[in-house]
Amino acid sequence: MASVTIQNLQKSFSSVEVLKGIDLHIEDGGFLVLVGPSGCGKSTLLNTIAGLEEFSGGDIRIGNHSVAGLHPSKRNIAMVFQSYALYPNMTVFENISFGMEMQGVEKKSRTELVNKVAKTLQISELLNRKPGQLSGGQRQRVAMGRAIVREPEVFLFDEPLSNLDAKLRIDMRTEIKRLHRRLGSTIIYVTHDQVEAMTLATKIAVLKDGYIQQYGSPYEVYNNPKNVFVANFMGAPAMNLMDGVIKKIEGEIEFQVKNSQGDVLSLPVRKIKGLSGYIDDKVICGLRPEAITDINVFNSEANDEIVKRVVQVDIVEPAGSDTFVILQLGKKEVVARLKGDSRVSAGEKVELTFNLSQVVFFDRKTEERIR
Amino acid sequence: MKQNSVKKGNDRQSRVSRVLIYLILIIFVVFYFLPLYVMMVNSLKPLEEIRSGGMLNIPLVWTLDPWRSAWASAQIGVDPSGLKPYFINSIIMTVPAVIIATILGSLNGYVLTKWQFKGHGLVFGLLLLSCFIPFQIVLIPMAKLLGIFGMAGTTQGLILVHVVYGIGFSTLFFRNYYAAFPTEIVKAAQIDGAGFFRIFSRVLLPSSGPIIVVTIIWLFTNIWNDFLFGASFADFDSIPMTVALNNLVSSSTGVKEYNVHFAGAILAALPTLIVYIVSGRYFVRGLMAGAVKG
Repeated sequence: MASVTIQNLQKSFSSVEVLKGIDLHIEDGGFLVLVGPSGCGKSTLLNTIAGLEEFSGGDIRIGNHSVAGLHPSKRNIAMVFQSYALYPNMTVFENISFGMEMQGVEKKSRTELVNKVAKTLQISELLNRKPGQLSGGQRQRVAMGRAIVREPEVFLFDEPLSNLDAKLRIDMRTEIKRLHRRLGSTIIYVTHDQVEAMTLATKIAVLKDGYIQQYGSPYEVYNNPKNVFVANFMGAPAMNLMDGVIKKIEGEIEFQVKNSQGDVLSLPVRKIKGLSGYIDDKVICGLRPEAITDINVFNSEANDEIVKRVVQVDIVEPAGSDTFVILQLGKKEVVARLKGDSRVSAGEKVELTFNLSQVVFFDRKTEERIR
Repeated sequence: MKQNSVKKGNDRQSRVSRVLIYLILIIFVVFYFLPLYVMMVNSLKPLEEIRSGGMLNIPLVWTLDPWRSAWASAQIGVDPSGLKPYFINSIIMTVPAVIIATILGSLNGYVLTKWQFKGHGLVFGLLLLSCFIPFQIVLIPMAKLLGIFGMAGTTQGLILVHVVYGIGFSTLFFRNYYAAFPTEIVKAAQIDGAGFFRIFSRVLLPSSGPIIVVTIIWLFTNIWNDFLFGASFADFDSIPMTVALNNLVSSSTGVKEYNVHFAGAILAALPTLIVYIVSGRYFVRGLMAGAVKG
């Protein structure tokens, strides 16, 4: 087991800079998820950690050692690939034991270890099959077995679940989390799926254009996004981002946004000091869908950050556990997350609660957070 | 009711067109097989029977003598040796040339797809270009080179020539095949600690069956059937089968022994025929595998 430290890491392919100075530290036993849209550099970052690609500047340390110039097989890492990358000509047994064979481990102890790993992953009865005869989920397990058997200090996962169907993906997600708990090993995991990132990570790094946009715990990244990109990327449905104006009325700061009829909806803002510099300016207001809900969910008596407002419902999307209601505010669609048994219908005017204790604001030009 | 009769009409129509298609196909097959048939029946007749006409007739007297003669005693140039020694010449030329060109082609394909270096596209382009250089152009420079290497007139010299010409195509085949082979598997093997040759021999090569067969068929057919290089560069003791066949047909000791010539021609074509029959089904499969994903 080991921590991983990445310092000012740079990587460019000829003239194209892919990583532009990445700083990360993941503690021993941590679960770091690298998340971002495609082309953000997250897979390249993982490949440089694995040693499959050289980096052009900075340093990567696994444990206390710099791994610069070290061969992938000497870095004490194991990798699980998106396509599983099983050797098609070998049986499951041979696939799992190939690495040990290359390291010159004796046949007897190889067999022992493979059997042990196969047992924990429940693939013992598949050991004599070829990858072509396995289902997607089974291949995934074999790929994990091949990684586990190396007993690495760091596991690297490159979008391991994106080739599975929806249900299996959720099952395997739980399995990976369980694996992490049991082995207690350090894991670096790449995905473009923010739900995976939220559920698995102890730390999330959101990447875009070769920079880390935000690095923190899932809670921090979700509730305290640093900029519009992170706010928009994390969470499903995404955070509502409304264009509106900051006003100072009777000494209190309010955020005003126009609805589809042109009427002004004003929301009181209390705790964000930075907004006093934006009076009469346009800003972007971010409010999570769960912060706009039925009137009886929050107790508005006790808290002046919880207000009730009448809004016009545009579209209703029942989803069983929740009812999503879409409104038009600030020329944008705004999603409200109501209880599953809420009875609202499209076109209706209803009163909803706005919980502004978690509201965030962004500068329109820099898209950075106003605190 | 009406619909039913329409359906019946369609049925009849499709049956008629089907019969027509098969008829045309059968005509083509007959046409295609006619030369082989003529060669076959006439190689099994005594010479007198051929001379009395009736080239398409089944032999009245069946005989294997023309075959024995073609193989072991027919006049080739000045020697009454039959085709046997030349058949052996061809084998010891073709087999090593095919093996070497296949191995080099697969290594080239491996490097060009999985260990790409700066300018790999250019190298591949140049190798491809070699496929399109007509044989005749290189005859004189090649003769000169073989002379410098001290390989003029030897079987080794012929092997070298065929390997050089074979690499272009074998590289093309393997490159396209390996381009479709997932690079992640190579990465996984690297992490597992396998080196350049181990990844090749343990991971890629065992998955290359179809394309190896395609390459072998292609190279074997081309090298075995080559006449020009054989006629140009071979000495007396390295003359390949194709050249010997020509000599057999053109060396006359009075009468033209057509039955012996036919038997000799079939003997010359036999190895490629066997290679096709044994591994032909892989040929289509392998070509497809390279074509669809490459």
